[in-house]
Amino acid sequence: MRPIIGITTYVEPASWGVWHDVEATLVPQAYVEAVTLAGGRPVLLPPDGTDAGILSVLDGLVLAGGADLGPELYGAKPHPLTDPRPARDAGEVLLTRAALEADMPVLGVCRGMQLLVVAAGGRLHQHLPDVLGHEKHRPAPGVYGSQPARFARGSRVAALLGNDMEINCYHHQGVGDPGTLTVTGRTDDGVPEAVEDPDRGFVLGVQWHPEVTRDERLFGALVQTATERRRRTPPHA
Amino acid sequence: MRRPLIGLTAYAQQVQYGHHDLMAGMLPMTYVKAVHATGGRAVLITPDDPDVDVLESLDGIMFSGGADVDPAYFAAERHPRTDIDPARDISELMLMKAALDIDLPILGVCRGMQMMAVAVGGSLHQHLPDVIGSERHQAEPGTDPLAADASAYGRHDIVVKPGSRAYELLGPRLTVNSFHHQAVDDPGTFEVVGWCPDDDVIEIMEHPDRTFALGVQWHPERTADLRLFAALAEAAASRAGLSRTAMAA
Repeated sequence: MRPIIGITTYVEPASWGVWHDVEATLVPQAYVEAVTLAGGRPVLLPPDGTDAGILSVLDGLVLAGGADLGPELYGAKPHPLTDPRPARDAGEVLLTRAALEADMPVLGVCRGMQLLVVAAGGRLHQHLPDVLGHEKHRPAPGVYGSQPARFARGSRVAALLGNDMEINCYHHQGVGDPGTLTVTGRTDDGVPEAVEDPDRGFVLGVQWHPEVTRDERLFGALVQTATERRRRTPPHA
Repeated sequence: MRRPLIGLTAYAQQVQYGHHDLMAGMLPMTYVKAVHATGGRAVLITPDDPDVDVLESLDGIMFSGGADVDPAYFAAERHPRTDIDPARDISELMLMKAALDIDLPILGVCRGMQMMAVAVGGSLHQHLPDVIGSERHQAEPGTDPLAADASAYGRHDIVVKPGSRAYELLGPRLTVNSFHHQAVDDPGTFEVVGWCPDDDVIEIMEHPDRTFALGVQWHPERTADLRLFAALAEAAASRAGLSRTAMAA
């Protein structure tokens, strides 16, 4: 059987067909397809702050993008433009900490990378234009900013992608202090674009959106690590 | 201690939220909340690249509401009002058959109950108003027909067969919401154990040879009455060897 890859979800009022503004648990289908194409079996994880027991059936985890993290998670006061989802935060912080403790393979995307940083004791910039004076990381609503990023030699992300590449990002917050993680990729303005935990099997966060291109290099690495882990420790063991 | 893991079949659907208009794997939160409120842990099973391998990880499964089942699966011509979702049909029929085979606890809701009937060789009425001459089973989307100030439209009684599992759980009679234009005609190997007394439309089915395989035509997840979700969680916990005390802990 394929390795089971959990993908965290948004909870947002959504509209489809005859339904309007119905509270729904959802994730862009691009994540689902990226995991499927890489050979994993995706399951979607609605946020739940009760416990992280779900990890016992998972082989790997994708922390998906979404709204801003609540700044209280890293001891800051909210910026006027910070737009958090407390219930989602509670479930995902619990899940992320437990996944790191269990050495589960984790790929964090955008908000998911920021979540890894916060779980590792780091901090975020709440509104990058205040820090950088430009809006290249989120040019306009719904528009991805394309920028070159450089990756650290010897890092996992460089091994997977090469030393530099064009990335598509869409974020107004960014990593200030990476906590116990290592920054392994940056744009020219110095903003961290990739973080890793070199002491774990596979913990990689990227600030851009590899699911949009179904980037098999990153999702493939996650699924492969998940497959190896499953072979060593079968679920429910 | 882990909770019983309940798979919920999800939609792959074009949705609008915030500034976005995109394909998403999604499900109304009412289903998730119903599972979590009754001691389970919900995961969504997406219809992409169908395979039944994911069932090995689950302790129970709920088939959710949604579009009409393709009448090709019960050898009928398509009615002009029939609106299908081919990706979900393929995936959910495989999952339903496999779940029945391994006796995984199953709850079917609305389309989910119709999927049960089709999976075991049954058939559907494709447009109920053609059969009963009334639209009473179709509440307006987004309304709550059980609210104190609602009209009688989209709400009706159900009579439950004594001696059935449904009777044990729900008693002889209840009032439900109703959001469907199709209905089960032939239940296949399922047993019909609940009807709408006004028109004999099939409202509850259960499988006589399975530990817990029960389908309902209404939407219990949109009500405060979660007895069916509690029964699913209990059957799932029991299958997984998780005690009730552990679930409460």
